[in-house]
Amino acid sequence: MMFSAELYHVGRKEREKKADELLKKFELYERRNDKAHGFSKGMKRRLTLAMGLVNSPRLLFLDEPTSGLDVQSNLIIRDVVTDLVLEGVTVFLTTHNIEEANIMCDRVAIINKGNIVAIDAPESLKKTIRSVQSIEVSFNHNSADQLDELHRLPMVNDAHKEGDKFKLYTEDPSEVIDAVVAYAHTHNLKVISITTLGPSLEDVFIRLTGLQRAGDGVHAID
Amino acid sequence: MSVAWAIARKDMRIYYLKPNIIVSGIFFPLFMFLAFAIGKNTPPSSLIPGLISITLLFSASSIEPVSIPIERRVKTFERLLSAPISLHSLVSGESLSGFLYSLGIACLPLAVGVIMFSTPIVHAPALVVSMILTAFCFATLGTLFAAYPTENVGEVMSILNTVRLPLIFISGVFIPISAMPQIGQKIALISPLTYGNDMIEYAYTGKSLFSPLLDIVVLVIFILIFQITANYLYKKFNE
Repeated sequence: MMFSAELYHVGRKEREKKADELLKKFELYERRNDKAHGFSKGMKRRLTLAMGLVNSPRLLFLDEPTSGLDVQSNLIIRDVVTDLVLEGVTVFLTTHNIEEANIMCDRVAIINKGNIVAIDAPESLKKTIRSVQSIEVSFNHNSADQLDELHRLPMVNDAHKEGDKFKLYTEDPSEVIDAVVAYAHTHNLKVISITTLGPSLEDVFIRLTGLQRAGDGVHAID
Repeated sequence: MSVAWAIARKDMRIYYLKPNIIVSGIFFPLFMFLAFAIGKNTPPSSLIPGLISITLLFSASSIEPVSIPIERRVKTFERLLSAPISLHSLVSGESLSGFLYSLGIACLPLAVGVIMFSTPIVHAPALVVSMILTAFCFATLGTLFAAYPTENVGEVMSILNTVRLPLIFISGVFIPISAMPQIGQKIALISPLTYGNDMIEYAYTGKSLFSPLLDIVVLVIFILIFQITANYLYKKFNE
């Protein structure tokens, strides 16, 4: 970090103070005397970010900063980026994690095959596809037939299994909720949770990039 | 200059004790020298100037051909290239680490000469100047060869050794230039080691083939040629 600061012409006292501050912020202070060679992937990524911040940049480009990292490192990096934005730093972030873009970014650009297909605030992007609402339901017992049976319920346009939950796409959530409750009663199932969801950023991404779900998988439309 | 110094310090911390640098910078010239000098009917003390010369050659040019390919491989060299520093600072900083290493290592044969063999030094200032210029000349040479865009240390060392090894035979280290055939004497004129060794000989014996001033001028010219060429190659290979 000292070396990085010297490359950016940060004065001695300033770089020592900044280094201490950043090491504490990235929870690396206790390891400050250890060689980075022995760090985990997440720690190395945090250290790299800290080195990039040692000169207090006003504009920061981050290329998939949380990709492949453990939960702790992810949380730390997200908090640091959020704090930087609050301090007035402009952060450009690339990510394949759409939820990350949804919660971290003021504006999102969706790129498909090298072209920007949309650029706006996440909530504004979601509003462009009002028709994509969904019900997310979880039962106390899952079986192989449930996905097809739920797909056949009235007003359900599409159905996917996501972990232990089923996501049912519809234009009329209230009708589908009634149908799901009736289905559970008929099949002696208990509803563990049921949630109404608006379109997610992932839905926006799929719609705008032309990806199409096929059963439980997704394939690209050429 | 402060950035060049920071780069030099980084190299010192990481690379000075690396085994391949110790082997190529210290052991290789020492054993090479012993292989050719032992068996000759000359007093050991008279071998010291030649030993200093080839120690400077090998140790000065050993750091960058190791450090830069390694840094390319682990992607830290990109960090240097993307930092707001000039290419000149980067090249100078890399050369500086080789220069300082070489001066330190060359003090060993110097000390051996003084302590063990009581080798007299006739012109101490000339010795200092010659060691400084020769070290910097070959440090810049090492940096120049390390511009070759590879992540493989062996590749750079192989290419560098095709230059370094012939230099020690054509520069008056083992065979006086005056005793070489005519073609050899002409070739010796284009070797920077000829002038470095010549000035070190002058510092020890008061005698030399060329005047010390000519040795200084030519070494400075070689330094400038290597530095400018290195700057150009780093720019070309990293655009």
